[in-house]
Amino acid sequence: MTYLRAAMLPLLFAVGVIALWWLVAWFRLVSPVFLPSPERTFDELAVRFADGSIWLPLSATLERMIVGWLLASLAGVALGAAIGLSPLARDFLSPTLEFLRPLPASAMIPVAILFFGLSEGMAIFVIAFGSVWPVLMSSIFGFGHVRIRLREVAILLGMTKTRFLIKIATPSALPDILAGMRSGLAISLILAVVTEMQASLPGLGRDIFLAQRSFRSTELYAGIVMLGLIGVLINQGLHRAETWLLRWRPQRQ
Amino acid sequence: MTLIGGDVADQSEGVAATATPALRLRGVCARFGAAVNRPVLDRVSFDVCPGEFLCIVGPSGCGKTTLLRLLAGLMKPSAGTLEFEGSAIRGPSRARAIVFQDYANALLPWRTVEGNIALALEGAGVSREGRAERVCGLVKKMGLETAARQYPQQLSGGMQQRVQIARCLAQQPRVMLMDEPFGALDAITRQILQDELLALAAEQGVTVVFITHDLEEAIYLGDRVIVLAANPGRIAETIDVRLPRPRNQLTTREAPQFLAHRHRLFGLLQGH
Repeated sequence: MTYLRAAMLPLLFAVGVIALWWLVAWFRLVSPVFLPSPERTFDELAVRFADGSIWLPLSATLERMIVGWLLASLAGVALGAAIGLSPLARDFLSPTLEFLRPLPASAMIPVAILFFGLSEGMAIFVIAFGSVWPVLMSSIFGFGHVRIRLREVAILLGMTKTRFLIKIATPSALPDILAGMRSGLAISLILAVVTEMQASLPGLGRDIFLAQRSFRSTELYAGIVMLGLIGVLINQGLHRAETWLLRWRPQRQ
Repeated sequence: MTLIGGDVADQSEGVAATATPALRLRGVCARFGAAVNRPVLDRVSFDVCPGEFLCIVGPSGCGKTTLLRLLAGLMKPSAGTLEFEGSAIRGPSRARAIVFQDYANALLPWRTVEGNIALALEGAGVSREGRAERVCGLVKKMGLETAARQYPQQLSGGMQQRVQIARCLAQQPRVMLMDEPFGALDAITRQILQDELLALAAEQGVTVVFITHDLEEAIYLGDRVIVLAANPGRIAETIDVRLPRPRNQLTTREAPQFLAHRHRLFGLLQGH
């Protein structure tokens, strides 16, 4: 019963929103040119899955986003470990990073275009630049807050720096790293879409943009629904990975 | 162990001249940062014989933990010398293991009981099979069979402290430095672990320096009890405990000698 309720509750709200959307479209409160009905939107999406035309933009967007996000995660964890564990690295790197951090990633698009052209490399650079920050910040925190006792245990066992990093510091920072990676992933999806729109790279973002330009509103909304689905699915996947990686943690009630 | 009893301490000068003590402190002082004119430890000197079970009691703030950290090599004294088996202590060594009071902080929460014990063997030149075998032996020795695959947070305090002791034993130390290891446990668990520790120490022939604020625990466990006074931390008294071994939670604690020691220590800790 409680399980059923837990499964139904989130659906209930989603169904409500769709119902509202349907009512607005049915009573033509907004012209169908701007807002098609939900069933037409979902039909469009189904058709694009059936004829396979969704796969090219979908895979292009996913690939861009994941590559950018993985690069950002790698860089964020490496820099975070250096800054969190070494005061020297912190003093050396922090001021510059504090300058770069507030820069909007979209402001980096023109710069990236100058360096990389309207290319895949440009998009990946911008995505990585934008999604590195949450990973970096939470890694700095995680590596900086390794319990003192555990540091002492490492010293007493005569561990080398590398062993300490692998066996103690990284697993200890992992919960923070994963939380940062989750925020980074959301940013990488946003930036994947933004770069596609800006640089006209193949992908869901560009399709949405072009659909809007030519008033193909069902296509436009189908694209948006698709993006939402990507977000939900990827977040679910990460959540599962997190639960497994952090299975040693006491279960939350 | 019974042989060592109290005689050794009587002749500590003579013994020190012939055999190398496991630990030797001479005029050890420790100061923290700004408190230069108020040392934490002031000219502390004593020897610990190989295989001896030495207990250190004292009020809080008397520098018990500082003393243990100095012996482990985690800190350097501001004056005086510390020796381990005849050579100066310059830093931590795998031959001297610490058991911390806060077991929950000292264990790796992401490793199972087995994994935590194995940590002490990794990078120590033990093969994978040799490691598994030794971990398995220690799990049995410490009565952790049912918990071997569990994570520390799933265990009671007593079990977690057993894991920490097992990890220290895996190091095969010659000296075990124990910082109020049973201070956070309930009375029954504490007594059980006291007896297990005595049996282990006798079996392994390991030297133990055991810090506690519980003077009965000190008398029950120790061959010798050093009483520290606070402000500054210094030795107030050394007592030889000549109670027979193996000790017994009922008869030992009821022995007239035990009670006499208890009266003496109680008076000392009250500041007489």
